[in-house]
Amino acid sequence: RFLSPEFIPPRGRTDPLKFYIERKDMIQRRKAFNIPEFYVGHILAVTTANPYASEKASRFVGICIQRGGKGLGATFVLRNIIEDQGVEIRYELYNPRIQAIEVLKLEKRLDDNLMYLRDALPEYSTFDVNMKPVSHLDHEEIPVNKLQVRMKPKPWSKRWERPQYNIKGIKFELPEKKMKEAQKWSQPWVEFDMLREYDTSKIEEKIWKEVSEELKK
Amino acid sequence: AVSFLQVQDCHVLKYVSKEESGDKRPQLVVGGKNASPFSKSESAMEIFKEAGVPRKQKLTTFRVTEDALIKPGTPLYAAHFRPGQFVDVTAKTIGKGFQGVMKRWGFKGQPASHGQTKTHRRPGAISTNKAGKVYRGKKMPGKMGNIYRTSFGLKVWRINTKHDIIYVNGTVPGHTNCLVKVKDSKLPTYKDCNKNPPFPTFFADGDEELPEDLYDEEVFQFTEPSITYA
Repeated sequence: RFLSPEFIPPRGRTDPLKFYIERKDMIQRRKAFNIPEFYVGHILAVTTANPYASEKASRFVGICIQRGGKGLGATFVLRNIIEDQGVEIRYELYNPRIQAIEVLKLEKRLDDNLMYLRDALPEYSTFDVNMKPVSHLDHEEIPVNKLQVRMKPKPWSKRWERPQYNIKGIKFELPEKKMKEAQKWSQPWVEFDMLREYDTSKIEEKIWKEVSEELKK
Repeated sequence: AVSFLQVQDCHVLKYVSKEESGDKRPQLVVGGKNASPFSKSESAMEIFKEAGVPRKQKLTTFRVTEDALIKPGTPLYAAHFRPGQFVDVTAKTIGKGFQGVMKRWGFKGQPASHGQTKTHRRPGAISTNKAGKVYRGKKMPGKMGNIYRTSFGLKVWRINTKHDIIYVNGTVPGHTNCLVKVKDSKLPTYKDCNKNPPFPTFFADGDEELPEDLYDEEVFQFTEPSITYA
């Protein structure tokens, strides 16, 4: 019972007709091309059509760091380290040039956004390009990997110790003083702010019914 | 990037002949979105009563050739345009209120430091000594936005006949859900581009039965398999 996050319309003043028609287009594309269910932390292999590559198709393997965008512009970023160079590629889910998306390993992580892997030791982002797909039983139970990642020495690209990022997957080896100082930027009132609430449960149910009915046809 | 435009209950309201308007071509007044009839005076509502149409939120005039005249009261649909045509879109730009000279006209302003006293975003000099006056039309701060602007030569990629939607290339002036005027392009490069448009307009109760979605030839259909080279 998984609804891809790009189906949920963002909060705004756009006409719901636009989202309805985008969803119809997305479902049509999904019928022609299978987009598997995947979360941030899965290891995927994507083959795209490339006119400049030999054999006209290029394959990239990587861990999914983030899933962004709504509607037909939904994207996901895959990260891997090839010959000591970190490479991140942003793919669009509904791009007609993508030929296949295979899930090589199913693994959920503790966070929704694994951008901190850029400042982590390279061993956490290396994945074998010719990895064999790990078999997974179909029903439920996507294992959650509670890995605590070790980081490179500071400076980092973002101050991951600050509470706004809400990261649970890093093993902070910073002194206590720095951790306390980072808590100065915490905003404990944000979770009680009613204007920021966006309850998507009912919207999700409606969209889930619509999407599953269309896909079964 | 594409803009999503919806045709919401457009009706032809009035025919203004050449002599009345003083123009070389007759004009047709078209009304847009439906609105409540209670907040306007009787005299304004006369046009709608004669055409037999509910009150519209926006009225625009189109200069038409004499062979393309339409009877007042006919509804206009998105199928009036076909994919592959080129179109000009006019709308009121987003209003930014009273704005300074840097945002409104793109002036450079002054440096942030090195001795500037209270002068960082000001226009500086407004005229020369010899002129002795400030010329008309001098760029100065003022209300910005909320004026009619047109983007020319936009290609129509897709038309949805069921919901009356036109997908137009590029961006269009105005905020989301604002009222927009769509016209055939006046640019000389696209003069002969409209091959067999529905003339004078598309009639829903006519004999043609169009499919729900009309695409341009170059658009990728979602039912096709993924693109491969070679």
